[in-house]
Amino acid sequence: MSHSLVSLSSHKRKRPEKYPSGPVDAERTILDLIKSKKHLGICVREIKQETKLADDDIKKSLKSLSTKCLIKEVVNIHNKRNKHYMAVEFEPSNEISGGDWYVDGELNKEFIDELQKLCLRYMRTKKVVTLERVHDLLKKVVTFDISSQQVGEILNLIVLNNFIIEVKSNGLGDYHSIPVGTICYRVASGAGVLTGPRTGAFASIPCGACPRISMCTPDGVIAPSNCVHYEKWLNIEF
Amino acid sequence: MVSPHGIQFAAHLISSFYGELCSKVCECLLRRGTLTLAQIIQSTELSRENVINCLRVLIHQNCVQAFAVQREGAFGEAPRIVTQYMALFNNIIHKLRAPKFMQIVSEELGKDGLMQHGRLSLKRIIDRNEQTAGSSDIHVVRESFIRLLNARFIERCPAPEPFLAPPAEDEAPAKRRGAKSAKIAEPKTTEQRALAAAAPMESMRFLMEMDDLPEKNDDESSDSVTHRKKRKQDVLKSDEDVLDANDKKEVLWRVNFEELVRRLRTKACISYVKTKINDEAGIVLSAILDLSGRPESRQKAEKTAYLSINAIYDEVIKKEGGLGMDFERIRVSLNQLGCETLSTGLDESYSIGTHLSSFSYFNAVVESVVLRRYGREAYRVFRLLSKAGRFLETDKISDSTFVEKKDAIKILYKLWKDDYLHMEKVVSSGARQSLFLVWRVNKQTLWEQVLDEMYHAALNLRLRIAHEQDRGKEVLQLPREKLVGELEKKYKLLGKVRVILESSLMNLDEAIMLFHDF
Repeated sequence: MSHSLVSLSSHKRKRPEKYPSGPVDAERTILDLIKSKKHLGICVREIKQETKLADDDIKKSLKSLSTKCLIKEVVNIHNKRNKHYMAVEFEPSNEISGGDWYVDGELNKEFIDELQKLCLRYMRTKKVVTLERVHDLLKKVVTFDISSQQVGEILNLIVLNNFIIEVKSNGLGDYHSIPVGTICYRVASGAGVLTGPRTGAFASIPCGACPRISMCTPDGVIAPSNCVHYEKWLNIEF
Repeated sequence: MVSPHGIQFAAHLISSFYGELCSKVCECLLRRGTLTLAQIIQSTELSRENVINCLRVLIHQNCVQAFAVQREGAFGEAPRIVTQYMALFNNIIHKLRAPKFMQIVSEELGKDGLMQHGRLSLKRIIDRNEQTAGSSDIHVVRESFIRLLNARFIERCPAPEPFLAPPAEDEAPAKRRGAKSAKIAEPKTTEQRALAAAAPMESMRFLMEMDDLPEKNDDESSDSVTHRKKRKQDVLKSDEDVLDANDKKEVLWRVNFEELVRRLRTKACISYVKTKINDEAGIVLSAILDLSGRPESRQKAEKTAYLSINAIYDEVIKKEGGLGMDFERIRVSLNQLGCETLSTGLDESYSIGTHLSSFSYFNAVVESVVLRRYGREAYRVFRLLSKAGRFLETDKISDSTFVEKKDAIKILYKLWKDDYLHMEKVVSSGARQSLFLVWRVNKQTLWEQVLDEMYHAALNLRLRIAHEQDRGKEVLQLPREKLVGELEKKYKLLGKVRVILESSLMNLDEAIMLFHDF
């Protein structure tokens, strides 16, 4: 795009060169380099490595190009501390931005939590749901064009949190209207599965939660007889 | 091999029940494996008399098994028969479960205190009953005994000292037949052969013969066995002192841990399913397991036989809470339980995996620990890797679990450092080489790690119970009438603490028993 804009202007009338020699050569070089990186962009350290220009020239060029709105600064989630530049006509790839769920290099946790709650509220009114049904619901509720893949990612998150379970339809009972083999979701039943008397028997005692269990010995510095977690646990019960 | 804390825990239990000396001998066998009497004496630095006495106690209490092997003589000497001893780790851990076992027996058969000690002959059972209950009615005792036998709560003791012949030469060609047969016929360890040789035949295991008849072929086994009389001439004199007490021609009986553990596991399994899925699924599972009965051989059946929907229905409606269930609801439960369906024409049958891994118990236990110890984000990371069952790259993990990339790498490193994850470095080929870290859950090493931690925790609970007892001994030793005011408060507090610790230990022990199932 940017290439076609320059050739048009040279046919119409003579204008002062945009990039006269000298310091402006540096700008041109840097702009070409940044454009070549397209959706990935480039950081200052890499600009220096590839152009071999002096720090001052790079700094001035970047400032000038930004002022002219030819480049923009974006956040690279892999390296948030260093400035990362991209030509204005490109959008950061998922590799740089982190993906659909990131905003300015940070995970949009509040939004993700809201989507989870919305899905769970809907699912609690149904015995079993498919991804398609949840997608239909969310399309009516969110203000952007949410894809089926994005809905799948949210449902997978809720599965990983163990609030719902993923099952396959066998066409019988609750699944009679769902084709056999289709992946469905249902709310995980059994409150306290994680800390119930059997699965949680180890996790619910101090040793189960202790990050220093490997250092604990019967008569050592960390021992059951002098353990502060035991003291707290036995006192808390009262 | 038993894990380090498993050994410590077992040694601690032996110490609690039978004293420090027995604990030392037992720990020596658990750490160093099967040993001869001379080796035990050398290793423990105890006197021969002490070691012999300890071995006698441990054998009587089913914590140690003796067996005889042939050793080649040196420098042209004739081969010798040597007695070796192996610790039975599982039986030692069962000592902790004695109260639960007694509860199962009394629930099924009413109050019955017949089998509480190690191993006894029927005659001694009758004698003990006379001493404790003051009753000398042999028929009542025999009837109780037969009920225990029919319920398989008791079994014949294994042979006190089976002889293991050297591996036969015709076993070698099996290895040459091909990789497939070599994989199927994995050679047994000496200890496995000893246990198999000691075990009574399945047909004899729960069979009571006339107790005044001498036992014939009591120690027959799949390995070749020389006659006991001939063997006695070859056995080292010192081992006669260990085994003489048991080497009598009378049938000895002991608690059948296998049956009791099976019942405990079934009960726990049903309860777990009720929590994880719902009550109806628990009822259906209970019906299926009742219909399937007990596996006939020592081999644990991996799944039940196929049962028709009609048979399952007939059994379900007999259960408490099952009367209102119809075919549709049963089918839903069967699906939730992950049953395999077999439909042929009008027949509709189901089979279920009896192994607890079918209900992802292993995952649930480990996940609950990860959640408590490392937090919710680590929990999601662990669950993702556990479900994937293969290596995943850091960014993929971060994206799928909605964990910030910088936090994901910290969590992964922490889990890896504590041996919950396996990690490898991958270098991508091409013009620009990049280093990637990939992560995976290795279920086998993870199971060993977590089981060892559970033994460690069980040991800690026991030590803490002892510590609290010691801390409060002055109050606990006071007569009732002096327990007033502050002293009464402290006394009640000590009682509550004890209840918490002991109930936690019981729950943890049940979890260990189920977890060990893998």
